Amino acid sequence: MSAAIIDGRAVAAVIRDELRARIGRLSPSVPGLAALVVGDDPAAASYLKGIAKGCESVGIRHEVVRLPDDVTQEGLEEAVAALNADARFHGIILQLPLPRRLNTLRAESAISPDKDVDGTNPVSAGKLLLGEDTFFPSTAYGVKELLVRSGHSPEGLHVVICGRSNIVGKPLAGILIQKQPGANATVTVCHTGTRNLAEITNSADILVAAIGRARVITADMVRQGAVVIDVGVNQVDDPLTGKPRLVGDVDFDAVVQKAAAITPVPGGTGPVTAAMLLSNTVLAAERLSATRRHAL
Amino acid sequence: MPGEIIDGRRISAEIRQELAQRVAALAPQDIVPTLAGMLVGDDPGSSGYVRLKEKAALDAGLRAEMLRLPADTSQQELLATVDSLNRRSDVHGIFVQLPLPSHLDEEAALAAVSPEKDVDGFHPMSVGRSWLGQDAFVPATPAGIMEMLRRSGLAELRHRHAVIVNTDNLVGKPLAALLTRPDVGADVTLCSGDTPNLARFTRQADLLVVAVNMPRFITADMVKEGVVAVDFGSNYLDDPSSPQGRRLVGDIDFEPVRQKATAITPVPGGAGPMTVTMLLAHTVLAAERRAHHA
Repeated sequence: MSAAIIDGRAVAAVIRDELRARIGRLSPSVPGLAALVVGDDPAAASYLKGIAKGCESVGIRHEVVRLPDDVTQEGLEEAVAALNADARFHGIILQLPLPRRLNTLRAESAISPDKDVDGTNPVSAGKLLLGEDTFFPSTAYGVKELLVRSGHSPEGLHVVICGRSNIVGKPLAGILIQKQPGANATVTVCHTGTRNLAEITNSADILVAAIGRARVITADMVRQGAVVIDVGVNQVDDPLTGKPRLVGDVDFDAVVQKAAAITPVPGGTGPVTAAMLLSNTVLAAERLSATRRHAL
Repeated sequence: MPGEIIDGRRISAEIRQELAQRVAALAPQDIVPTLAGMLVGDDPGSSGYVRLKEKAALDAGLRAEMLRLPADTSQQELLATVDSLNRRSDVHGIFVQLPLPSHLDEEAALAAVSPEKDVDGFHPMSVGRSWLGQDAFVPATPAGIMEMLRRSGLAELRHRHAVIVNTDNLVGKPLAALLTRPDVGADVTLCSGDTPNLARFTRQADLLVVAVNMPRFITADMVKEGVVAVDFGSNYLDDPSSPQGRRLVGDIDFEPVRQKATAITPVPGGAGPMTVTMLLAHTVLAAERRAHHA
């Protein structure tokens, strides 16, 4: 029997609907998201276009703040400080990678934790691990939402995360080990260098692939009936058409025969990741509004 | 052959000797590594622990300033005290003894400690930096476990599976952060005492770390041959044959597990003594950094 396909686009659409309602309740205040960009990289441009489209679709004010290619570290941090102080924006994201001469960690650490909707400030990462109020990095947050909203809550299950990056693997592990509804899982973090990777992945009730290599999770590595979440996006040449196409880290055509449920690429985690950035921005605006009400 | 016993007291004494030398090396610069602690109220357990830290600091040649604040100290007073310690250049390490009385906000108090002086590693910035693989102070318990493994020649954990039975902020989470660092490169599983079918995880462990405070919770059938077992439990069992009428045991059923293990920490005398030692080590390191910058 073939697996249920977890439709990330449908989940993202539901999340965006909820966001519209939450944004309505914040009126007349309008949530705002500012993207800070150094130089102009065409890959960044298409990413930013996607964010702009998402913001418009739910009613979030958005703005791209461009800094020249030769901006100094001080100039960059001043721009961050200006956005921290700018009441129109509740969320700030910093487009990476920065030019090499700039210190990414220092720039990320300058973003106010109250506006750090990408969750990249180490303080945000620390709060995530400690189970305090913070913002979850969008991809990791999206995986959790996708699981819970598709009826595959990880509570009490064994989740194996392949990949230990600071933006996916580690925050996801941090989210799922919390003693919270929709989490409270037993979590194993492994990586492509893991010697007995197949043995570990075969013990997973839920397998999350976040490696960044095309189709490395093969059917023999997946337990019958597992739920498989594919975070990878890899461009390969299609042997039939000769044209590039996107595939995940999971060998979809084979694994779909074994898994109970699986996310496709594209159309799986990607759309939900985009929705979670919007969701964090709305959350930031809601927190600010709650603080203000509290102060009155 | 039964596994080697990892002697936390011996390793701890060795480290404290080294620390005394490092403290002496700072003397020509007129720097005496100084540990400041804050105890609010007079909970006997916490008071005892603060005295232990004070004595250990003094014995290793550090200065210790333990501020004992009344039980009705306000949040503002506590934060003001932290702030004054942050500002003092002659104080290198600061800790807030937990738990705080319930009217105080622990999260805010810990976040008030300057990360450069956060020798307990509880500030969210320290936790986050460590989790992201950056340099930071890490809590004494996981730091002590790593140091014990290193000094016992057991720290080569690449391609090894570490299973941690504990997910709290003092042990499981920060230890997972250390073990997943690329320079360590272990595969890490975080379970808790109530994980369904726990044995299926513990049996995979090359390194097993347990901190659940349930006596003899890990039995020999739950570990694999060759495991390195670290026990951070402390439980008292009635024992009429002992002068106190009770006896301290860990979470691991020691003798039977030892028969299968490569190495194992005892309770008492294993991971416990390392904790205060690491707090001192962090304070000396903070002072050395200050000396370096001066």
